[in-house]
Amino acid sequence: MSSHDHEHEHSLVPSEPALRIKALESLLVEKGVLDPAAVDEIIDVFEHRVGPRNGALVVAKAWTDPEFRKRLLADGTAAVRELGFLGMQGEEVVAVENTQNVHNVVVCTLCSCYPWPLLGLPPAWYKSLAYRSRVVIEPRKVLEDFGLKVSDDKEVRVWDSNSEVRYIVLPERPAGSETLSEAELAELVTRESMIGTGVAKAPA
Amino acid sequence: MSVTSKEAVWPIVTSSGHLRVELDRPARYKVGDRVLTKNVNYPAHTRLPRFARGKIGTVHLVHGGFPFPETMAQSGDPKPEYVYSVRFEARELWGAEGSPKDAVYVDMWDSYIEPAPETGR
Repeated sequence: MSSHDHEHEHSLVPSEPALRIKALESLLVEKGVLDPAAVDEIIDVFEHRVGPRNGALVVAKAWTDPEFRKRLLADGTAAVRELGFLGMQGEEVVAVENTQNVHNVVVCTLCSCYPWPLLGLPPAWYKSLAYRSRVVIEPRKVLEDFGLKVSDDKEVRVWDSNSEVRYIVLPERPAGSETLSEAELAELVTRESMIGTGVAKAPA
Repeated sequence: MSVTSKEAVWPIVTSSGHLRVELDRPARYKVGDRVLTKNVNYPAHTRLPRFARGKIGTVHLVHGGFPFPETMAQSGDPKPEYVYSVRFEARELWGAEGSPKDAVYVDMWDSYIEPAPETGR
């Protein structure tokens, strides 16, 4: 450590993509094409206002309201619109239901399509070549890498969201959660359980 | 050139409904139809994944009309088409190494598919 008291290391140069983005941003700002306040706002939206909490509320409602569950599975877009969670990168939604016979998992093999308004920005692994190429070929092995062993009697369905349609998994409601409220249930719904690389948490 | 302001961000992020196109023709395929994907090597942008070319699948959902990625990328012309979710058995895609129980669902624009031949696979 050097003598001054802040933490960053002067010897580390930012990664090439980070430098490229900084260069692009300052050029666009200089030329008056980009408003830095708008960039900050976008970051704030996806850090604080839009994230997997939205999807969890959809799932918890589907677990507690059988009519909503039916609507969600029949027309995901309309059902998600009811809760006000449609938006950019999530204009068309299909919900796929995990059952005792079927486990669903979502990928975008061609890029990183992901239901932003429901789950926020995609995690780095979702965008990785390894996940995108392997999960269609050997989904069970990939799920095991996530610590999820899918029983041999279950069918695994992999959804490649290569069009404008965004997929969200409706996880199985965990055993022992019968008495929980909708708000308590939402706490059990993880981001991974809505991508299909995990399952909902067991109640404490 | 218009600059997106801070105030414009939230309305953009939460707006929806401008992608889908109502087409004045019925969908060529219905749920349950067997289709064969084209085996093409398009030289520019396409949303037809390589692993799903020349494969037989079954229409699972009719999503509705959406702009066609190829023409959008080339000229910005939407030329909307029906998009379907097509189910492919893992063994159809990956051969004997595929799990006999598992399947991959891929969204397919109408131009990517044709009716599957009556016989064969």
